[in-house]
Amino acid sequence: MSELKIENLVKNFQGMDRPAVNNVNLDINSGQLVAFLGPSGCGKTTILKMITGLFQPDNGNITLDNESLLPIPTEKRGVVMVFQNYLLFPYMNVNENVGFALKMKGVDKNTIDQRVKEMLDLVKLPDIGLRKPKQLSGGQQQRVALARALIASPRLLLLDEPLSNLDAHLRDEMRELILTIQQKLNVTTIFVTHDQEEAVLLADKIALIFDGELQNFTSPKNYYEKPKNIKAAKFFGGVNFINADLVDNKIQSEIGFCEYQGDNISDLNKKLFLTIRPENIKISKNNEFDHNSYQGKITSVIFSGTHTRYKINVNNVHLECSLQSVGIDNIKEADQVFVHLPKDKIWGMND
Amino acid sequence: MGGERLKIVLSLTPPLLIIITLFFGGIFYGFLQSLGYQPAIGKYELNFSAYYNVMFSERYAKLFWSGLALNLWVSFASTFLAAVFALFGALAIRKTFVGKTLCKFIYSLNLPMPHLVVAVGMIFVFSQSGLLARLAAQIGMISSPGDFPVLVRDKYGFGIILAYIWKEAAFFFIILMSVLQSLGENFEELAQSLGANRWQRFRYVILPLVMPNLFSASIIVFAFSFGAYEVPALLGVIYPQMLPVMAFEFFLNPDLNARSEGMALSIIIALIVMILVVFYFWLTQAKIRKD
Ligand SMILES: Nc1ncnc2c1ncn2[C@@H]1O[C@H](COP(=O)(O)OP(=O)(O)OP(=O)(O)O)[C@@H](O)[C@H]1O
Ligand SMILES: [Mg+2]
Repeated sequence: MSELKIENLVKNFQGMDRPAVNNVNLDINSGQLVAFLGPSGCGKTTILKMITGLFQPDNGNITLDNESLLPIPTEKRGVVMVFQNYLLFPYMNVNENVGFALKMKGVDKNTIDQRVKEMLDLVKLPDIGLRKPKQLSGGQQQRVALARALIASPRLLLLDEPLSNLDAHLRDEMRELILTIQQKLNVTTIFVTHDQEEAVLLADKIALIFDGELQNFTSPKNYYEKPKNIKAAKFFGGVNFINADLVDNKIQSEIGFCEYQGDNISDLNKKLFLTIRPENIKISKNNEFDHNSYQGKITSVIFSGTHTRYKINVNNVHLECSLQSVGIDNIKEADQVFVHLPKDKIWGMND
Repeated sequence: MGGERLKIVLSLTPPLLIIITLFFGGIFYGFLQSLGYQPAIGKYELNFSAYYNVMFSERYAKLFWSGLALNLWVSFASTFLAAVFALFGALAIRKTFVGKTLCKFIYSLNLPMPHLVVAVGMIFVFSQSGLLARLAAQIGMISSPGDFPVLVRDKYGFGIILAYIWKEAAFFFIILMSVLQSLGENFEELAQSLGANRWQRFRYVILPLVMPNLFSASIIVFAFSFGAYEVPALLGVIYPQMLPVMAFEFFLNPDLNARSEGMALSIIIALIVMILVVFYFWLTQAKIRKD
C-alpha cells in the first residue's frame, strides 16, 4: 500500500519567467486513481518526473509511505512511468519488452517468462509475444507499455497522457482497461491528461493545475458543483457567472437577492461570484418557484437532440440553461420567462 | 509509358557510359595487368603468376603475410578503439554545453584535415624526437628523449593506429552525437524508471540503439584504413609493411614487370575489403529480414 505525499514542490527551469511547478501540495491515498489535469505546458509531466526522480525539485519534499523519495535514485524508487509515446524498445520483441524490469532485477528466466505471460493476459494481448513493436498497432503498443510497467509490481504507477495518441474508439477501450487493471491490482496511480472528460470518467480525484500551480484537488463531482474559482469552473464547462456581494452573511447579486446554502459561506469574500451548472437552472413561463426566481428574456434556443440549450438575459446578465428536450412547454426566442436558481445548486467563489 | 521510360534510359545512358567505362574499365584494365597483360613490354599471355609471386614466392611471401597481419591488426584495432573512445566521449559530454561546442569544433577542424597532416602531427608529437619525448626528458621522467617508447615508426603499427584513432574517432564522434541527439533521453529515462542502473542502461538501451549506426560507420572506417596509403607510408616501418605501401613500392619499381605484382596486390586488397563489406550487408540484411 503506497501513500504519496507531495509538499511545497517547486521546480524552476532556465528561461522561464515563472516556476514550471509552483508550491504544489498533494496527498494521494493508497490505491487511488488520480488525474493531473491541465492545459499544455502547465507542468504535469514535470511533476511526474520529479516523482520518478528524473528531475530534482528545487524545493519541497515527496514522500511515499512516510519515506522521502528524494535521496533514492530513480531505478530504486519502485515508481514506474509510462511515457506519452509508449517507447517500446524497437530492438526487442514484445516478450523482451515486457520482461525488461525483471531482467534488470536479475530474476531467473523461467519466472520472467511466466510473469510476462500473466501480464500479457492482463492487458488482453496473449499470443503476440514474439512480434516486434513496429508490427503492433498504436493501441497494442500502449497495452504492451502498460504490461511492461506493471510487471515488477510498482509501488506507484505514473501514466503520462496514456490515451492522447489513440483514436476515439480505442481510447474508450483503453480507458476501461486501465480502470479494470487499476482496480484489480489496486496500485496507486497518477495519470496525466488535458481532457477534463477523460479525467472525470477515470479518476477518483482530480488535481487541476494551471501555470504550475495546483488550483484544486478534489472529486470530479465537486469540480462541477463546487468549483474553486472561475478558471476551474470554466475548464469543466461552467458558463454562468454572476457578480455578487456578501452583506451580513446574505448574498446580494446583480440579478437580485439570492438564497444560499453552500457550506463555504464563511470563506467567501465581500465581493464574490456565483455560478450554477446550466442543467441545474429551471425556467418557466409562470412564476411557480418559491425562491431565487428572476425574470428574464430568452435570447436564443439551440436544440441539440436530447437537450435544448436556452440563452437568457436576466438584468443584462447572460445565463445558459440546458433542459431535456422531452416534455418542455414551448418556450421560444424572445419569450419572457421566470428563471429559477435552486439554493442547493448555486455556488459562490472568491475569484 | 514505354516512351517515357525509353527517354529516361536514353538520357541516362551517356553519363552511365562514362562512369562504367572509367570505373569498370579501369578495374578491368588493372585486372588484366595483374594477370600479366602488358603490351608496352610485349607481354600478352594471361596467368596468375603475379598473384602467386606476391603471396607465395620466397621473395615476397613473408612480406605479404606479415603485411596482411599488420593490416588487419591496424584496421581492426584503430576502428574498434576509435569507436569506443568516441562512444564514451559522446556519452560523457552529450548533455553539456562543452559537448556541443566540441562537436562543432571537431566538425570544423578535424574532419576536413587531411590524414597526411595528422600523420605529420603524430611524428611531431609522439616520435622519439617529438614534443612528448622531449617534454618527458625535460621533467626527468626519462633520462633522454631516446628512452621514449617507440610509438611512431614502430613494428606494431602503434603510430599508425594512433593517427587513425585521432582522425576516425572524430568521425565516429560526429555520427554518435547526432544519433544520440535524435534519440533523446526518453528511452534511458524509461529504462531507469523500470529499474535499470547506469551500466544496464548502457548495455541494454544505448548500445543496441546506436549499434546499427556505429556498425555502418565502422565498416566505412575499416575499409578506408585497410586500403589507405599515406599514413602507414609516413608512420610505418620497412618490415612489416602494410599492404598498400607494399603495393605502391611495386609501382615505384623501375622494372615494369613489377607492375603486375603491384596490380595483383591492389586487387587483393580491394577483394578483402569487398568481402568484408558484402559480409556486412549480408549480416544487416539477414537481421532486417529476421525483424
Ligand atoms: N527539461 C526542461 N528544460 C526546460 N524547460 C522545461 C523542461 N521540461 C519542461 N520545461 C518547461 O516547463 C513547462 C512545463 O512543462 P511540462 O512538460 O511539465 O508540461 P505539461 O503539463 O506536461 O504539458 P503537455 O501537456 O504539453 O505535455 C513548460 O513550459 C516547458 O517548456
Ligand atoms: Mg507532458
